[in-house]
Amino acid sequence: MIKDITIGQFFPGDTLLHRTDPRFKIIILITFLTSVLAAKSTVAFMAVLCSTLILLVLSEINLRILLKSVKPLLFILIFTAVINLFFVKGESMLLHWHFIKIYKEGIVNAVMMVLRLVCLVVGTSVLLSYTTSPLDMTDGLERVLSPLKYIKVPVHEFSMMMTIALRFIPTLVEETDKIISAQKARGVSFDTGGLLKRVRALIPILIPLFYSAIRRAYELAEAMECRLYRGGEGRTRMKVPHVKGSDYIFLFVMLAVCVGIFLLNSYEVPFI
Amino acid sequence: MARETVRPTVTEYIRRLKNKLMFIEAKNLVFSYKEDAPPVIDGMELKIEKGTFTAIIGHNGSGKSTLAKLLCGLLIPTGGSVTVDGMPTNDEKMQYDIRKKCGMVFQNPDNQIVASVVEEDVAFAPENLGVPPAEIRHRVNSVLKAVGMEEYAKHSTYKLSGGQKQRVAIAGILAMEPECIFFDEATAMLDPAGQRDIIASMKMLNREKAMTVVAITHHMNEAVEADRVIVLNHGKIYADGTPLQVFSDVENILRAKLSVPQVTELFYMLENNGCRCGTDVLHTMEAAERIEKLFK
Repeated sequence: MIKDITIGQFFPGDTLLHRTDPRFKIIILITFLTSVLAAKSTVAFMAVLCSTLILLVLSEINLRILLKSVKPLLFILIFTAVINLFFVKGESMLLHWHFIKIYKEGIVNAVMMVLRLVCLVVGTSVLLSYTTSPLDMTDGLERVLSPLKYIKVPVHEFSMMMTIALRFIPTLVEETDKIISAQKARGVSFDTGGLLKRVRALIPILIPLFYSAIRRAYELAEAMECRLYRGGEGRTRMKVPHVKGSDYIFLFVMLAVCVGIFLLNSYEVPFI
Repeated sequence: MARETVRPTVTEYIRRLKNKLMFIEAKNLVFSYKEDAPPVIDGMELKIEKGTFTAIIGHNGSGKSTLAKLLCGLLIPTGGSVTVDGMPTNDEKMQYDIRKKCGMVFQNPDNQIVASVVEEDVAFAPENLGVPPAEIRHRVNSVLKAVGMEEYAKHSTYKLSGGQKQRVAIAGILAMEPECIFFDEATAMLDPAGQRDIIASMKMLNREKAMTVVAITHHMNEAVEADRVIVLNHGKIYADGTPLQVFSDVENILRAKLSVPQVTELFYMLENNGCRCGTDVLHTMEAAERIEKLFK
């Protein structure tokens, strides 16, 4: 069950999205997220859906993998949909049964909110986490944020922490599964009893997990010291970012889409 | 008469030559983790020469991992001294240079891999050293080839087998271009195939690249591949010599709560049961030949 979480997983490949410079990808992602959140009219919203689909096709990521990454969000999606469905009031009522009133606007809103959330998640996964190796990503972040060094923000340390966190996600997930099996074998039950009992059942998972994570951290620190790590100063990188023409074109297209969506918003009467 | 006068100069000459080849030297080495705790390493004299392959064995808690960390400067001795290529490990200014010369491969392959992609992990050490990018690329390709992992350069480290992860870890150390490489029970968590791979890599590094290799292990089949075996017991050197010298004295090894290679044990049992065959056998093929001879 835990293995289904794919956040922070990188799928190697050689597509346009894989090749784009991570710094550009971060800026492109910010532009994309802005457009997703800004789209209000149906036309603009269609444009957002289309660009998400195009990104999806470009990344050549398996749909099944993508669905898995949306699965943990299912609860939030359903919750948002229900809230919008029942609590948004409009002019044209479709259904009135006792206290439940469903309006056309409510349905439109619910669908839009759900799609918006899905677009946000899919866009981030496809643009960044699935197609950028974690080292590239943190390297890109480090470079994008590097001006912050001058106001004493520890940018390198931050990106190193990210790299290691991402590297250890699959390892720790596997370990959690092992601990769960081990505790089940000892008779711990995770799915019976009231809420309090279930929460309490997590303690025998969390304690060994924390213990082993700390031990791992200690050993990793030793191994890193052994491999001459001493912070960001004087460090070089194997991969020198080459800014290619396609990077500029990609960024330009995305900016154009973003501007287009802002323009489309005012072309039509918004729903909200 | 002439011989008598020549001998001291020859030994003196050999001593000087050995000093020149000396790589790691421990003098009266003492170490304890806590101030009032009994010392883990208790007064040890040890010299490791350049280009040798040394195996350090001992039962659990005999201090072998601690000794390895002391010898490569990851731990600072509480008494006595360790020098690596003439640099004392307790001198903080020297520490970085010592680490450049001595790499270490640890027991758990998962806890020493920093990056999610093989080649990026291998590049970690040269990146820290500040090597120019083109040179890093060159080093990464050549060390991955040396450990036979070049096809996996772009693979995710998480999906490799234990033996492959350890080979990546070795490549990561080699990319730093050290003179000496320590294996701290690097085969302990591997399956037999992975163990064979790592032992083969150790031999390759020592024989082909002329590197100094120190392997801490409790697998006797790993120790027999070395030029020299050091047996630790209670923080002291219990036996020291070639694998043949150390293991053929079976009773002595058993007293240190250790086992001998399987074939040596077989010959020991034969010898005890009245068969005059000796116990100076380490490899299976050798044993087979010896037995064949016995029957003739």
